[in-house]
Amino acid sequence: MKPATNPLDRRDAWLGVMLIAPSVLIFCAVIVYPLVSAIYLSLFSIYTPTLQGNFVGLSNYAELLAGGEFWHSLANTLIWTVCTLTLQVVLGIAAALMLHQAIIFRSLARSLILFPYFVSTVVAVLVWRWLFNDLYGILNHLMIWAGLLNMPLDWLGSMPNAMVSIVLVGAWKYFPFVVIAVLARLQTIPDNLYEAATIDGAGAWGRFWDVTLPQLKDVLLVVVLLRAIWDFKEFDLIYLMTGGGPLIATQTLPLMVYKEAFGMDAMGRATAVAVAMMFVMLVFMLLYLRQAKQDAAK
Amino acid sequence: MRRVLFNLMAWTIVLVTAFPLLWMVLTSIKPQFELFRMPPTFWPEQITFEHYARLLWETPFLTYMRNSLVLSFSTTVLVVAVATLGAHSLVRFRYPGRERLAQLVLFTYLLPSVVLILPLYLLMVWLGIANSLLSLVIAYTSFALPYALWLLRSFMQGIPDDLESAALVDGATRMEAFVDVILPQALPGIISTCLFTFILSWNEYLYALVLVNTDEARPLTTGVMSMLVSAFNIEWSLLMAASVMMSVPLIIIFAFLQKYLTRGFGAGGVKG
Amino acid sequence: MSAAEVTFCKVRKAFGNAVAVRELDLAIGAGEFVSLLGPSGCGKTTSLRMLAGLEFPTSGTISIGGRVVNDVAPGKRDVAMVFQSYALYPHMTVGENIAYPLKKQGMARGEREAQVKRIAAMLKLEALLDRKPRQLSGGQQQRVALGRALVRSPKVFLLDEPLSNLDAKLRAHMRAELIELHRQLGRTFVYVTHDQLEAMTMSDRIAVMEGGELRQFAPPREVYDRPANLFVASFIGTPPMNIVHGEFNGRVFRHPAITVPFQVAGAPTRVALGVRPEDVLLGAGPFRATVRVVEPTGHETIVMLEAEGAALTARAPAESHLRPGEIVPFALRADRLHLFDATTELRLEARATEEISA
Repeated sequence: MKPATNPLDRRDAWLGVMLIAPSVLIFCAVIVYPLVSAIYLSLFSIYTPTLQGNFVGLSNYAELLAGGEFWHSLANTLIWTVCTLTLQVVLGIAAALMLHQAIIFRSLARSLILFPYFVSTVVAVLVWRWLFNDLYGILNHLMIWAGLLNMPLDWLGSMPNAMVSIVLVGAWKYFPFVVIAVLARLQTIPDNLYEAATIDGAGAWGRFWDVTLPQLKDVLLVVVLLRAIWDFKEFDLIYLMTGGGPLIATQTLPLMVYKEAFGMDAMGRATAVAVAMMFVMLVFMLLYLRQAKQDAAK
Repeated sequence: MRRVLFNLMAWTIVLVTAFPLLWMVLTSIKPQFELFRMPPTFWPEQITFEHYARLLWETPFLTYMRNSLVLSFSTTVLVVAVATLGAHSLVRFRYPGRERLAQLVLFTYLLPSVVLILPLYLLMVWLGIANSLLSLVIAYTSFALPYALWLLRSFMQGIPDDLESAALVDGATRMEAFVDVILPQALPGIISTCLFTFILSWNEYLYALVLVNTDEARPLTTGVMSMLVSAFNIEWSLLMAASVMMSVPLIIIFAFLQKYLTRGFGAGGVKG
Repeated sequence: MSAAEVTFCKVRKAFGNAVAVRELDLAIGAGEFVSLLGPSGCGKTTSLRMLAGLEFPTSGTISIGGRVVNDVAPGKRDVAMVFQSYALYPHMTVGENIAYPLKKQGMARGEREAQVKRIAAMLKLEALLDRKPRQLSGGQQQRVALGRALVRSPKVFLLDEPLSNLDAKLRAHMRAELIELHRQLGRTFVYVTHDQLEAMTMSDRIAVMEGGELRQFAPPREVYDRPANLFVASFIGTPPMNIVHGEFNGRVFRHPAITVPFQVAGAPTRVALGVRPEDVLLGAGPFRATVRVVEPTGHETIVMLEAEGAALTARAPAESHLRPGEIVPFALRADRLHLFDATTELRLEARATEEISA
């Protein structure tokens, strides 16, 4: 774009720049600088308590890629993301379809379904850890009472239970996001599409497959990408549920970053993990950016 | 008949979803000894608020609460004020680099905190403000600002250009048009953004964990978790009472301002 | 304060690589009602917005009342604008909407209220002053938008398709009201529209635009009777003018179905003949055509014909009994024929030399 030639135009552009300037300054301080700094720090070996370090080049990355822990954590991250995301989407669509129907006290039902999403992860984790409690937890009691178990289950301390537990809690906490997005879209599907499908002889399933799902395709794509990105970088929930344990069985990449920095006191290696993780995420992020651009063009 | 069955099924699912939260409330009002009864009681045989009293008077809970309020209010005011100006600029002004900037906002909106947190930690130590609420406010802008900018931008894009044009022709300057016309129109969007930013800050955990390790500056999230860790014998009823108290602002927002939450979702998705 | 003339001098506007308006020269007299008419994307709205100060010309100058306004902020140009969307401020009442321009001028509250009352009485809005715009019908919103423009008594009124969101009946009514308003106020009106009926009925002069260029600037009658080029010829008039491409040998226009002798100086070989549908006289004459479609509209019948590859439209009386497939003789009204250079598309000053009856 050519610089504006008209004085009024130029004054307007100047005002626009002034209005965005505070945002840009804050961006530089808390995002751009840390981002560049992270890449820079990942080339050093830094001892966290003293913050003294020396330049080691790419050897942090070399260690990372050669060692098993990074790959193990990456695999955990992927398992967690794929499983919890799948559950979120399936439950989310089902709940949205349900809430779209006329049920009694619909707005109360909607509030109750949405609440887990807005509640603090800390609260969610405390409640679930209490539910999962091996001796006094209601979950074990209910399952024994129902005959599903004959002795209390250790939900968080052994594998694969720990992974299953965090996947379940993740699904519970985040499926409302899918519900809201899908529900909003459902409300905009014109009724005459369903009427036409009914006239053409489609049953309830047929209408779902041929009318609802195709209409939901775009919103689902966006929801899946966003949730994939957010699930991938989830720290609070997993850290607070299992701390990555037992041992490192549920340790995902964000947890590894934290452990390297403050458990192993290796700040440089920690940033290397963070940067590597960001590059993995970049794939999703670019996909999302492309999708957002296409939506904006529409 | 089918209606009744459907309603029954739907409400069963809703109640199963809401059960953990219901259980949280029930646990918080049961006397301690009742928790360890075999088999456990569902409804409390005896309702007690002793845990709430203990929480408020015998633990640093109120300090955490005050910290969280100060922190969330400051972050919200700062971020929404800056983002409102910024979003207006991104939507209604033309200058070189504007499109790139909008893209960058979206990009940072997706950026993982763990990448930024270590350099931010070093920055706070270097500035000598680590372990303070101020350091948290600064750190929180790193996720709240891109988020608020993005949300407000989509709200403001929904305001017709003609309104501002009309104000300009009617004799307003660009800033006057912003104040007289754009701001009142954007108000519902600004309220939504405030609520989301507030909730986001209220619920934040990772930055608080890394940047603050004294009770004086600890917000509720890390504060309540530290109660779990420090207690020799985990007092679940106390923790559940803390969880309920921590969710009070959310319950208020849900009860009175839910339409703004729904609107926010429509405008630009929501942060996870 | 009174009306002011408006001048566009070599005005050009580009958005990046896309040129919206190129080299626009336009002189609008003080107190004149001028319509900018053209299909969408022709640059008419951009021109109006440049006049309002909402867009800035890439080059060239715009002046109002002899003052160059390129560097003048919209609010200081002494113009008022009515938007297609009305652009009423939704959070203000009708009264506050109308008072807003006065408030920005710094007028005292009491005087403001008096002015708003005056305008409300003029537009019959008194009962609505305390309502919000969303509580009004489309027609009422439109009057409020007009009121907001009128209240300042500006030198120039800019109207951007103000009637296009109204239903047909109300539109006809508002046309009459706008003409009356213009007569009363005596101010300069610049009116953007894509509706030729609006332009024809209201304007003193019409500026026909296409592709960012001015194609003709003349009174409605002249635009209709003497279109300056093929675009104007085919854009103005419903149904549009018939265009028949043929050859000219210096004396006679020739097409396999139609020949017309013309008197014209220096005409090229490749030309186009323009005939308005009402100038195609069915029933008798030297030419033959096949009836393709007959559309009775009530007060007349539109007949579509084909003559040796040329498609023609004719207006016939309502009671004509033509049937598709029928072959009819026809004549053309010689004094109403138009001849265009097929290459430059410009009008040729030509006169048919004889009545074409034989």
